Amino acid sequence: MANIVQPTLPAAGARARGRAGVQRRTGTAYLFLAPFLILFCVFVVAPAIYGLWISLHTWNPLLPLQPWVGLKNYIDLFTPGSLTSGDFWQSVGNTGIFTVASVPLLLVIPLVIAVLLNQKIRGGTVFRAIFFAPYVLGVAVIGVIWRYLLDPQLGVVNHVLGALGLPSNIPWTVDVPWAWISLVGVTVWWTLGFNTVILLAGLKGINVDLYDAAAMDGAGAFRKFWSVTLPGLRPVMTFVTTVTILASANMFGQSYLLTKGGPGHATRTAVMYIADEGLSQNQMGAAAAMSYVLFAILAVISIINFRLQRERS
Amino acid sequence: MKKGRAARALASSLAIGVGIALAGCSASGAGSTGSVASSDYSGPKVTVSFWNGWTGGAAPVLVPKLIAQFNQEHKNIVVKDVPMQWADISAKMPLAIKAGKGPDVAVGHGDDIATYAAQGLLLKSDSIVKSLGYTASDFPAGLLSDGNYKGSQYGIPWSVTPLGLYINKDVLAKAGLDPNLVPTDKTSYMDALAKLKAAGVQGEWADGYVFTGTFEFESLLWQYGGDLFNKGVSKATFNSPAGVSALTQMVDLINQGYSPPNVAQDGDINALIAGKTAFNWNGVWQTTNTALTKDKWTAAPVPQIGSQKAVWSSSTDWIFPANKGQDKNKTSAAATFVKWMNNHSSGWAATGELPAQNSVRNDPKLVAAYPQLKPFLQELPYAHYETVSPGITNAEATITTAVNEAMVGKKSPKQALDDAVAQANQLLQQNASQYGG
Repeated sequence: MANIVQPTLPAAGARARGRAGVQRRTGTAYLFLAPFLILFCVFVVAPAIYGLWISLHTWNPLLPLQPWVGLKNYIDLFTPGSLTSGDFWQSVGNTGIFTVASVPLLLVIPLVIAVLLNQKIRGGTVFRAIFFAPYVLGVAVIGVIWRYLLDPQLGVVNHVLGALGLPSNIPWTVDVPWAWISLVGVTVWWTLGFNTVILLAGLKGINVDLYDAAAMDGAGAFRKFWSVTLPGLRPVMTFVTTVTILASANMFGQSYLLTKGGPGHATRTAVMYIADEGLSQNQMGAAAAMSYVLFAILAVISIINFRLQRERS
Repeated sequence: MKKGRAARALASSLAIGVGIALAGCSASGAGSTGSVASSDYSGPKVTVSFWNGWTGGAAPVLVPKLIAQFNQEHKNIVVKDVPMQWADISAKMPLAIKAGKGPDVAVGHGDDIATYAAQGLLLKSDSIVKSLGYTASDFPAGLLSDGNYKGSQYGIPWSVTPLGLYINKDVLAKAGLDPNLVPTDKTSYMDALAKLKAAGVQGEWADGYVFTGTFEFESLLWQYGGDLFNKGVSKATFNSPAGVSALTQMVDLINQGYSPPNVAQDGDINALIAGKTAFNWNGVWQTTNTALTKDKWTAAPVPQIGSQKAVWSSSTDWIFPANKGQDKNKTSAAATFVKWMNNHSSGWAATGELPAQNSVRNDPKLVAAYPQLKPFLQELPYAHYETVSPGITNAEATITTAVNEAMVGKKSPKQALDDAVAQANQLLQQNASQYGG
């Protein structure tokens, strides 16, 4: 299998050129890849290129003419005081706050839970189901549920806090920094089950002999975790980290439903602003330009992430 | 209706993906003109496609009944009811009309009409209005002209939904006030709030969201003699002294302890329902809120806090789409349908909206059947409707941002409004350059 897939990598393909057998196998590989490749081109590559084209116009889809404006949409984003730059960079900053606050929690907590679930405890499957359950719910559902629970005046959370003698007027969904705590907390509760299950699968893949060997060398529980579990999880961890960073950077629904992006626009994320600009205000050109700038930022972060994880191995 | 505006904002989003592909296809520049021979269509049998966003409340039962009755009475017209989410209408209709597959008649929100008209999606309906025999005096003051864009009529009024003052009588009684108390001006309103506060009740929970902080702010702004935009809708003017007074009045509710700080969206009406507050400025649509039935409540015209009477209202209108190759007979038949529907709109009150046609609304039978609507009917002579300008919803959204920032205490009322006006002015300029405003 690895042999067949390998030639799709450009470097391997170049090396393989000239060897008839490999070339035929390359053709076969592309044939097998074709169904996905076609979908990928039609639904990812083509729209992405079209988006680039759109970003060079004042593109209001409701109007008959979409005038060419060159790089104006991009220049506006980097010109302080323009219609879009202030809002855009504020929203990017908000996305940054959310990502920095949520990703560590979404890695550490699922890891701890996965290690615990990996012990041979009674009812492990039940706990796994319980932790995973919220992930099954749609964002609309968790948004509505938590808006009721976190309502500053009428919500259950503040009511319980009050009953415990704690402040009962915390503006969970209305003011910062509380809104951030709510958004991060709800997101962690909602999605930790997914990361937990992936990490648990990773844990099950670690050879038990390694633990036995470590024990024989006199390693304690902590040392085993540090020297066996973590290195064994590295490939899985890379995947989980990348996916979690991207998911957090694309956060939309929680803010949209819980805080409406407020107070003011303090919790409006980049994706939320892009959606508003493109879809509500019909400024598809500007929105496409923002998407590309955000894409560039995320690409850089992803590359750094991959580099860091690779160098350690 | 309740979340109509918010839903539409998200809504226009969904169809756009499809929209981009189709948008370039056709360019229908200046709108075409629609005319009908009379208010009683007599041509060959036609099918009229009718799009509406009436998917909730009493409408899904009421509308098919009305249409069945209409179809039975008109042998040469078959009206096809096509209900869908408001969001879907905003998303689908422009493209459908350009492709010649849109409805022959539809109901739209007041602030969408200019946007549609500027795109050439609607028939100029002055002569239809004339043939149907409508004049401005058939509707509440200023409503017919609200369907007018650049000197042409595009909408025929169907319904209006003003804001009113909801009062929880149990809360008043429990706080030792007269349960039948109805504050009408600033003195009586602030006096009631002070007495409620003395009894430990925060009398009006004020929020900073579209529902309903923005509506209250706009009502107060007009009461203080201000306006949202200048006459040509080229400049935002809601940071005028009137605007600052209006927003200060709302922020003061918090400062004086009449409202808790940081009220969440819908916290105001939920608090009224839960018996935690006495007053809520909310739309006529709440009269159909079943959660209210367990309270002893009443509604009243909003109190006059400023120097004149004024109240926010939204409206919906009949519109005649200019489909590519629009069949004149279908438009004629649609006009007959519109006239008939307006004449038979008294039952529409069951949906929590007020029929626009005066003769229907002023019929004593309407108030007899829906007594809770009376205060809202009284408000119509001084109600303010949507701003008529293409793409206006983006500039209007800045108002909510200002109200929110001030209500959460992030900015002073003046600062919040100034910032929003600066943003709104840029958006208005953008709208003008794109829609040729």
